[in-house]
Amino acid sequence: MSEKGLELYNRIKDKLDELQSEDSAYAQFNEIWKLACSAKYKSYDLRHFYEDTSREFVDEHRENLIKMKEDFINNIDEYVEKCLRVMEKTNHFKVYYAKNNDEAQKIFMEELGDNKVIYKSKSLEAKDAGIIDTLKKNNIVIKETDLGDVLCQLLEYDYPSFTLGPGIQFTTNEIIAKIKEKYNVEIEPEAEAIVDYYRKTYRKELLNDIKVSLTSANAISAHDGSIVLVENEGNISIITRATEKHIIVAGIQRIVPNVFDALLCAKIQERIINVDGAYISLISAPSNTSDVQGHRVFGMYGAKEVIVILVDDWRMKAVKEDLFYKDMLKCIGCKSCDLVCTASRAFGNIYASKYGIGGINIVRDYIHNGIEAAVADGLFLCTGCENCTNWCPTGVDLAEMIRQLKRIATENHLCPPSLEQYKDKIINEKNPFK
Amino acid sequence: MTKLIFLGCLSRSKYGETCDNAIKIIKFLDEDYQTLDNPLCCGALAHQIAPKEEIIDYVKLVNNWLKKNNVTHLVTICAGCYNYLTRYYPEYLGKEFKVDVMHLLQLLNKPENLEKLNLKYDGKKLKIYYHDACHLRNAKPPIIEEPREIINSIEGNIVFGEMENNRLNSLCCGAGGGVYSTYKENSDFSSKLIFNQMRMSKALLTACPFCYTSFIRIKTENNIKTPVIKFEDFIVKLMEGVDPINV
Repeated sequence: MSEKGLELYNRIKDKLDELQSEDSAYAQFNEIWKLACSAKYKSYDLRHFYEDTSREFVDEHRENLIKMKEDFINNIDEYVEKCLRVMEKTNHFKVYYAKNNDEAQKIFMEELGDNKVIYKSKSLEAKDAGIIDTLKKNNIVIKETDLGDVLCQLLEYDYPSFTLGPGIQFTTNEIIAKIKEKYNVEIEPEAEAIVDYYRKTYRKELLNDIKVSLTSANAISAHDGSIVLVENEGNISIITRATEKHIIVAGIQRIVPNVFDALLCAKIQERIINVDGAYISLISAPSNTSDVQGHRVFGMYGAKEVIVILVDDWRMKAVKEDLFYKDMLKCIGCKSCDLVCTASRAFGNIYASKYGIGGINIVRDYIHNGIEAAVADGLFLCTGCENCTNWCPTGVDLAEMIRQLKRIATENHLCPPSLEQYKDKIINEKNPFK
Repeated sequence: MTKLIFLGCLSRSKYGETCDNAIKIIKFLDEDYQTLDNPLCCGALAHQIAPKEEIIDYVKLVNNWLKKNNVTHLVTICAGCYNYLTRYYPEYLGKEFKVDVMHLLQLLNKPENLEKLNLKYDGKKLKIYYHDACHLRNAKPPIIEEPREIINSIEGNIVFGEMENNRLNSLCCGAGGGVYSTYKENSDFSSKLIFNQMRMSKALLTACPFCYTSFIRIKTENNIKTPVIKFEDFIVKLMEGVDPINV
């Protein structure tokens, strides 16, 4: 094991020690995360909202989803080309194809122009493209709109979190104390009171002040260029309508053959986390009207401009060169793998990268920042239980990708010593326990 | 033609009595099965971290050892060996791998063997839980119903209790992938979670030596009273008419 390997190993050990302390950030997150994971297993087989269970729904569609994703990967050039064409010609979107993250960041900053404030939804794809880091570097004011992210900003939380429920670890007392400190407003320590506070204050701002907004896309239909966005708060609905310019940043893997496939991806995501009552937006053009003499004018009440930045970066290369992380292109971001992961359940946001918790975000960190980053994220906390692969609705073999990362880490002398000893004993002495 | 009893490195190194019990059961069912001297590790643990070329060379070496000894059939008591031999040996070796691999649970569950074993339990009502190890539920073919069918075939007052997380949804013990040797904290949490899912049960059965190692440590460190029993030990005790949970 190299010095660097030892340093990374000890860093994880230190975090695990911190986890033992009840008031540490890791312990606080883990406390609620364990409940979320447990709820996932239970809720998956219940009939809360529908006649079928989530498991039945996912099982019914899994085969088609896998076929659809494989079809996309096998015909990626055609789908990307078709999607770009239709979005520009038919949907009147301004479309960019960014070959890499640097290009995506440059395009984004040019589109942002003189604006110094941006309102955003979670936009995980923009994070993947390094756009959030670029905005920070350029001192652009980033206004989160998902309440969980708003709370993370309020409490200056910079640990990795569960992207679908960031801020869930904060207690109501922590939140109201910070609101009092920052805005000198006293509110009751209740979820309803906190939501009401933001509804009364922040909602007005969202409806009136947005010039540029940023979202990702849950899926994009290659057939008609429709953008599908899933949410539960209404923040995406507001910031994609009450804005001058709506910028969408998405990796090309978000493209699916048609709008029905896109909707299926959206519904699968809802059912995986067993939420009900979400909004699903289908955006197929900027806001427009033809009510005056049949003359089509863009920018009625909704967004005047819709900009789509489709990012390639690692994706096309992964397909063309058959790289081991090619399966990342099948991921629809449903987070099923996080919720059933043994390491994630035990270690919460220690088994995580800056892109979010869980193995899938460790692979993402490897793609962008290399093997040392993946080891620092807790790569070797994975037990290889393969729950991630078994539960994935689109056939992503995350377990194999993680195994491959462990192999790369070992080749780079970053494998924990005892594990490497096992391997050496097997190869040399034919028994790891001798 | 050799029918091989493949015990697995962990059991051979740490659980001698279990190995003896397994040999006793297997030979009782088919006396042609035998152990061989100096068996090789299947390589499962190295598979997690070794470069593919290195691991392929290794499985070739093991396959040559099997060929040299004319092994045509193999029964293993190790969940890890079974998973690895059924999934990765055919993947890496293709048609070169010609051994018919079976886990002890599959051998036990053959109707003629259940009949021959004629397992009986004479004691007071006994509720036992079985933990589905990842290695067995992920293997090809998976081993899921066999332990249930074996337990349900036992004549007497034995009740099979299902954990909240069972079969394909079972919880990992937290010790797999070599994590036990590096970050025991995972099994501290995960194995405890499994114990917490046992209600009013007298014993926890496992068919995986890795899970067993983790369960026993957690049981000892947390002063958990529930006996943890390896499947082989349980069966032998029933065969001998001894209290199966008196360990």
